Amino acid sequence: MTASPQIDRNAIEDTAAHWVMRREEPDWSGAEQAELDAWLAESMAHKAAFWRLEYAWRQADRIGSLGETVRAPSRLAFADSWIGRNLRPMAIAASLLLVFGFAVMQLSHQPVTPRVEQAGQTIATRVGGHTVVPLDDGSRIELNTATLLRASVTEQSREVWLDKGEAYFEVKHSDTVPFVVYAGPRTVTVLGTKFLVRRDGDKVTVSVIEGRVRVDEVMPKGQAGSSSTVTTGDVAIAEGNSTLVAARSPERVESALAWRDGMLTFDQVTLGEAAVEFNRYNERKLVIADPEVARIKIGGTFRASNIDAFVRLLHDAYGLDAQVAGNEVKVTN
Amino acid sequence: MIDDRTLNDWFCREVLPLEPSLASYIRRNWRSADDLGDLRQEIYERVLIGAQKDLPQNARGYLFTTARNHLINKAMRARIVSFEQVSDMENIGQDVDMFDLERHLTARDELRWALEALNQLPPRCREVVSLRKVEGLPVSEITAQLGISKNTAETHIKNGLRAIAEYMLGGTGKVQRRPSRRAAAGEREQ
Repeated sequence: MTASPQIDRNAIEDTAAHWVMRREEPDWSGAEQAELDAWLAESMAHKAAFWRLEYAWRQADRIGSLGETVRAPSRLAFADSWIGRNLRPMAIAASLLLVFGFAVMQLSHQPVTPRVEQAGQTIATRVGGHTVVPLDDGSRIELNTATLLRASVTEQSREVWLDKGEAYFEVKHSDTVPFVVYAGPRTVTVLGTKFLVRRDGDKVTVSVIEGRVRVDEVMPKGQAGSSSTVTTGDVAIAEGNSTLVAARSPERVESALAWRDGMLTFDQVTLGEAAVEFNRYNERKLVIADPEVARIKIGGTFRASNIDAFVRLLHDAYGLDAQVAGNEVKVTN
Repeated sequence: MIDDRTLNDWFCREVLPLEPSLASYIRRNWRSADDLGDLRQEIYERVLIGAQKDLPQNARGYLFTTARNHLINKAMRARIVSFEQVSDMENIGQDVDMFDLERHLTARDELRWALEALNQLPPRCREVVSLRKVEGLPVSEITAQLGISKNTAETHIKNGLRAIAEYMLGGTGKVQRRPSRRAAAGEREQ
């Protein structure tokens, strides 16, 4: 049915879905069965797609046992709890259990409670840390490595001060109470959206995953600073008086969130830049003294905590050597 | 040579339940999440071609070895220097075992999962799929009840079927989850 079945997975799947559906129809005919058989015989890719959809569709038969009740889909009871909201569909998926377990572990190591109840509570993560903090308004903040922030959420105001580091915000929508993040020389104001704020000293980077945020320059009283609106897929980089807003692909913005899974994603960055990223997450620091080596471009996804694997692969791929001295790993040619 | 019925049974019994593990394996070892569906399909195709000669004793080992080889070949052809692909290979055994939990779903879990899959569909699509799956209506009656064209009804069923498969088999991925959760919650963003 498709001209180039090997190439277009989407077309194969669509055709497979068509057959799975058609075969349940009352007017399914012998001629059609023959056509389906011929299509399946054409390629193993066709069989793989058809068998897979057929199997999954059969799995979903259980819905049928519910009868009418499903017609007005109500959220499942446990969907209202925090864990339900966040881990709901994957409650049984080990990957998230691990991430969750990790978050809990991190919390237990730190002198903070996971809930922010009074104004101005401080939340911190250590190097390599990662913590999820639910706020009373239903928003949540996910702190990356070596991050310090304070939060104050009341019925009248929602304010967070990002003193250092990086945090991902999922802000519950409110028409009346804006959510404000003070990040040094910039403030970020939203009503409800998902975004990432990273602070390296006075440099502030805001990536918007969903929705729209306003980034304002902090000025002495009475003076007007610059103000920029940043929307989905955009990244604002603010330093000094300038705020650069760049449109990025959703994948790029998405990859800035890889740390939430404990990963680092690089897309053709230099080894020097990659080392800086790794060093944010580890007490043991990568040192790349040779500028020529630091300019090597790399890409890929790496576990943030696994410097050793990274170094071993630099050795395998580029013949680079590493010397360990105290808390430093020197990479040389 | 293994006949199709046996091959299909084996595929459904031994391989497809591992799809969540396979999906997370691909996500961890491949830089672009967009390629997930294509890679999965290519891996399944290779798995079936191999298994057609002789059913492997150890489906899990066979699936992940095939996946690894395929990813490495792809990466080499694309000239992507991707370290993680190599580094994680050493840990493959442990990683895969950790996901073993996923195979032991109870009937209640399955129902819950199927319901979630249904709930995350867009409203119109959900309605059509519910009529189909819950009440077992043929396309002709769905079109009559909802006053939509045959083509529209069929498209909804096909899309719903694919989305449900994605969700039920491997759909723990962010890429699928994020828009769907937003749609399900019906939140109005700023």
